[in-house]
Amino acid sequence: MWKEIESRESGKIRPHRFANRLKSRRVASLQLSNTKDIVSPHRGSVNSLQIDLTEGRYLLSGASDASTAVFDVLQPQDYEGGGLIAKHKSILVVDKQHEQGHKYAVSTAIWYPIDTGLFITGSYDHFIKVWDTNSTQVVMNFKMPGKVYTTAMSPLATSHMLIAAGTEDVQVRLCDIASGAFAHTLSGHRDGVMTAQWSASSEWVLVTGGCDGAIRFWDIRRAGCFRVLDQSHSQLGRRPPILCHATTKASTSKSSLGGQSTSAKTGTTLGKFPNGNGTKKSSLGRILGKTSSKQRLHPGMMSSRDRATAHYGAVTGLKVTEDGMYLLSAGSDSRLRLWDVESGWNTLVNFETVRLQTNKAIQLAVSQESDLVFVPCMTAVKAFDFWSGKTSMTFRGHFENVNCCWFSSHDQELYTGGNDRQILVWSPFVSHEMEEGTAQDRDSWSD
Amino acid sequence: MAPGRGRKRKLEDDEEGEAATAAAAASSSSDPAESLEQSLTFSDTLVALQIMRAQFPRIDKVSIKPFILRSQLYSSVMDRTQVDRELESLRRAKTLRIFKLSTGQDDHAVMFLDDYINQIDSVVKKKEEKKLPNLEAFDWFKMHVIDTRLEPNISHEELCSLLSLGGKVKDQHVSLLINGGVLIRQLIDPDMYWFAIPSIGSVLKGLSQGRKELLGLLSRKKYKEMMMATLEKKRLRLSPLDMRFHLRDLIGSGHLKTISTPTGLVVRVSKD
Repeated sequence: MWKEIESRESGKIRPHRFANRLKSRRVASLQLSNTKDIVSPHRGSVNSLQIDLTEGRYLLSGASDASTAVFDVLQPQDYEGGGLIAKHKSILVVDKQHEQGHKYAVSTAIWYPIDTGLFITGSYDHFIKVWDTNSTQVVMNFKMPGKVYTTAMSPLATSHMLIAAGTEDVQVRLCDIASGAFAHTLSGHRDGVMTAQWSASSEWVLVTGGCDGAIRFWDIRRAGCFRVLDQSHSQLGRRPPILCHATTKASTSKSSLGGQSTSAKTGTTLGKFPNGNGTKKSSLGRILGKTSSKQRLHPGMMSSRDRATAHYGAVTGLKVTEDGMYLLSAGSDSRLRLWDVESGWNTLVNFETVRLQTNKAIQLAVSQESDLVFVPCMTAVKAFDFWSGKTSMTFRGHFENVNCCWFSSHDQELYTGGNDRQILVWSPFVSHEMEEGTAQDRDSWSD
Repeated sequence: MAPGRGRKRKLEDDEEGEAATAAAAASSSSDPAESLEQSLTFSDTLVALQIMRAQFPRIDKVSIKPFILRSQLYSSVMDRTQVDRELESLRRAKTLRIFKLSTGQDDHAVMFLDDYINQIDSVVKKKEEKKLPNLEAFDWFKMHVIDTRLEPNISHEELCSLLSLGGKVKDQHVSLLINGGVLIRQLIDPDMYWFAIPSIGSVLKGLSQGRKELLGLLSRKKYKEMMMATLEKKRLRLSPLDMRFHLRDLIGSGHLKTISTPTGLVVRVSKD
């Protein structure tokens, strides 16, 4: 440690690298915290966890007993065990007793990305409520057509305040906090939408994963989605090769002859598809050529015909990396896939997952500095290496299935919540030998 | 003279190398005494595929060409990502085909292209004996569809357009292909078909029953584990495939794990 500080001082390693090394070392020693404990007031399984994006201080959790709680993770309320264990109790709890509270399970709870004055909860009682944190009152109420599975707000948004809501209905709805109404709906999925994430590189791009196994990219300024991820379109490596003479292009040269005449009719939006999706382009053109006599389709809605799937089951978890270049998706076929966002192809990294829970959505967490992804796998949380897919660490502590996890990159701590109603903290291992030594040292005395 | 002799020697070395791998493959398939412990991992996906193809058990009742399950490859090669990527490049090079099986969540079977063509030919031969009409559908299938469509599934329109490159397509042709077992309708989507290996039904049933039997056998033990050397010698009642096949498959899919002990490898049921 001192050697590294010395080389940082002399300029041998750069500051960013020095910080990364320290952080990676701390992350590699993550274990169940012996100094921090969160006292969970929930009487139902914890479904969603989030630490606010501005200060990294307040933890928001939503549970199946319709309760939502806020904890301060930096300042404990109480100390136990002779001052060694910090107890963090909830500073705010909203449950069924609250007259404006939810009636059924809260499936998602997120902070307003700009500050911690507002938070948004979505529940199985078909409502999305926007709460004022200080007065604990509901400011806005949105009624959805079905059970709300997921809500998301863009952390980059400067010109809109839209909440993307995924429900058991096939349409993704955008709710506007500024006006209190629905902005618009995005159609294209063929079953309920279980997960939604905003892109980390553009405030207009939303990624949603549905129970039909499809992952769709939407630009909210246009109609229809501009990309559907297909698990059979793959690239061998982190980035696609520069000159991709994909055999898909060569082999579809015969079949695309039929599609050429019809694609001219359907307009220019087909041309915007990247090269690797050459098969999709021609097959779409052919399908539309058949049905164009029956139904004129808006060029933006052509993607609703595209039935490519990203997983062989429902998509249960999505996570965009902080630099916005890669997307991780977890499915009920118990596979985790890594997608390159720019080309839309599967990078074929094989994560050694054996079983993932299939009935609920799971929340993934990514640590970009140490290239790790934290995935709740049944009763344990496993950390996989990003590029090789090998299991790096396993965190066993929960008594039942784990639903959600959140990694705080400020102090390299992992928070996990599960069906056993507990929120566990995993922090880097720090030994306490120093303090015991000084207290017990009675032999060194002299007359 | 010297360079010429050097080249000749290199050619001989190459031949020897090929003969050695062929001999190794032949010996491992015919020598039951060679234990699974020694041949559990390989360095390369293609080598693993070829050796496992040679080790495919002979089934008497059904004539079926060797196929390899994807989970078997995961247990044989150390890096799973490398397996996925090499399979992808071999698939694009049209050396082998990948089929999605209906036995489990994510079961895939890998078969070399020549074996697949031979399997289709044997099906056609059986149908010719029964004097069924419209058999040219299989020829169109082999010539146009397999060559063009490399993915494990195909849509109805694409199938008809590719078959029509051979001749006029009628509904009876498509029904004949489904009857022959080369195409299977998807349950979720009425418009899509999966490619399938013909006459594989009984083997797949044996596969799922064998898996259950092996897992049950180990779960009934007191510590849910057994030495690999003794486990290998047992025979499964319900499956025509041998123990080695099932062991590789279950280790690769994560249901069993191997632990190395001073006396050899031990196979244990992994709890999630």
